[in-house]
Amino acid sequence: MISIIRTRLIHWKKQPFSLLFWLILPILATLAIQYFTSAIQEDSKVPVGIVLEEDTELAMNLYLAIKENPLIRVYDVTEEEARRKVLSHKLDSAFVIEEGYEENVKKGSRNQIITSYKSDLSFAYTPVSQTIISLVQEDTGRSKAAYTVINLDNERSWTWEEIIQTANEIQKEENLLHTTFSYASSEEKKENQIRLWNSWGVWAIFSVLSALMLADWVIKEKRSSIKPRFPFIRFTYKWYYMGNLVPYTVLFLLIDLTAVMLFNLLLSETITSKLLLSMLSFRMMLQMGTFLFAYCFRNLYFYYILSFVLTLFVILISGVIIPMNSSWDVINPLNAFINQEVISGYLMLFTVLLIIWLMKGEKRNA
Amino acid sequence: MLKVESLAKSYRNKVIIDDISFTINKGDIVGLVGENGAGKSTLLSILATLKKPTKGNIFLEDKSFDHSKKAIRREIGYVPQDLALWEEFTVEENMIFFEQLSWVNRNKDELRQLCVDMKLEKWKEPVHSLSGGMKRKLNLAISLIHQPNLLLLDEPTVGIDLKSKTEIGNYLHTLAKKQQKMIIYTSHDMEEIRQLCDYVIVIGKDTFYKEILLKSGKPVLSF
Ligand SMILES: Nc1ncnc2c1ncn2[C@@H]1O[C@H](COP(=O)(O)OP(=O)(O)OP(=O)(O)O)[C@@H](O)[C@H]1O
Ligand SMILES: [Mg+2]
Repeated sequence: MISIIRTRLIHWKKQPFSLLFWLILPILATLAIQYFTSAIQEDSKVPVGIVLEEDTELAMNLYLAIKENPLIRVYDVTEEEARRKVLSHKLDSAFVIEEGYEENVKKGSRNQIITSYKSDLSFAYTPVSQTIISLVQEDTGRSKAAYTVINLDNERSWTWEEIIQTANEIQKEENLLHTTFSYASSEEKKENQIRLWNSWGVWAIFSVLSALMLADWVIKEKRSSIKPRFPFIRFTYKWYYMGNLVPYTVLFLLIDLTAVMLFNLLLSETITSKLLLSMLSFRMMLQMGTFLFAYCFRNLYFYYILSFVLTLFVILISGVIIPMNSSWDVINPLNAFINQEVISGYLMLFTVLLIIWLMKGEKRNA
Repeated sequence: MLKVESLAKSYRNKVIIDDISFTINKGDIVGLVGENGAGKSTLLSILATLKKPTKGNIFLEDKSFDHSKKAIRREIGYVPQDLALWEEFTVEENMIFFEQLSWVNRNKDELRQLCVDMKLEKWKEPVHSLSGGMKRKLNLAISLIHQPNLLLLDEPTVGIDLKSKTEIGNYLHTLAKKQQKMIIYTSHDMEEIRQLCDYVIVIGKDTFYKEILLKSGKPVLSF
């Protein structure tokens, strides 16, 4: 076995760059795509002008809440600027938090507490205005409740401050609960908004391509002029192939571990034993699958072309880039890995096929 | 000793080799001649256990080709008619590559010496930049790594200059006479055959060469 690995090392020494390129392609491509798409999303935040006409607590709260929204980029402007920039389409739309906002909210009046500017090119106006309205409604709703209490409880003279304090206390308790509950899910949501595509999904797709490209040695060896020498070596040529699969697999696993660490560092992907195990299983599946696939070919270029076609097909049915109907999951080779399952149908299928291939060969060779 | 008894080979209805018997002893160099398509390569591949004869028996010492194929292969050094080398590897890498896969362990110095012995002095040069003669020498050297006793060479000197031819010839002569190897090789160069061989086996449909090798004085085997 060691000697087969040594012969493989001689091959690798001959083309270190193409080997390295295909090995790290999945990592590089995933990082590049993730950075690129998050940069695009950063750019695609809707520019919205906000005019703050009063500096009460409620107005400030609303302003901050709008600013926190991940889809909106807030520009502080005067009303005059707002009008101009919306007209020249520098801003999608602008919203003026009018003077008397807090007062109107407290009164439960919803008349003209906010004025908006839009143009015929304000594509994001509706969702942005809906977002702001819902934020205002939170405040007016609370105030309305407070006023309802005042109206109902006329005997006891609640001051508005007392009521809003009680309401806030209740709200705080609720909020506390709400925050603890929603912590995980909102975090996930944020992740989704920044990362359009699942990092491991993208990595898995490029891993299919790189595994296919690096399995071309099977065909090169099969077509090579040294073939007449195979009967005069220590190994049957099937075991020679199996022996060559070992250094490739080890190399891939090392790079896979590097991917795990890099994605943890740069993309904040968590490292779990489930991930590692499903990755090992995925790699074994790829190694056996690409080997069996490559073994069916004699023509190298035909193999390269079909490898790309196969990768495109996997992209299509995997649902990683384009969301797909889950009925494809059965034949999706990435499915087990993306769901972090260790045992996959493909792994078992390829194992069986490889064993059959080995046994068939041994008989003929004996 | 290599013993061939009533060997025949046909593809479907086409008879290629018809009933050949001969014996080769240690230290013998035997030339295999015949026109193109006469079946020289076919006979060599049968002797190399790569093809099965339609009829007949072959023995190497007391081992039958039918029963101990694996053991016999270790004794055979087969040089294919077409170059079987890694073109992008250097001479050194080719030698190490096949040493790693061979049955015996030989160190780098021994491998290098093997090349030097047949005047292949290039060592760090990639095969694709070698001359035709150098390539033929390397093709031969690789087949000798596991120190076989029976050498089967399919046109080892085809298309190379006189100097390389002589160097290869001298080396084969040393192998046979000093190390008692059995050598069978094919060639279309009758002068080379005449100088080097102890026997000549002539095969072909209606070829009945009668030639006496003047050098050794041994009679020509003819079929
Ligand atoms: N697998 C095969 N099936 C059918 N016929 C074959 C097969 N292999 C070889 N032959 C035929 O057997 C004959 C002998 O071929 P062989 O290669 O042994 O000739 P040769 O003497 O080595 O010729 P050359 O001098 O050109 O090397 C040829 O006519 C060839 O067409
Ligand atoms: Mg021939």
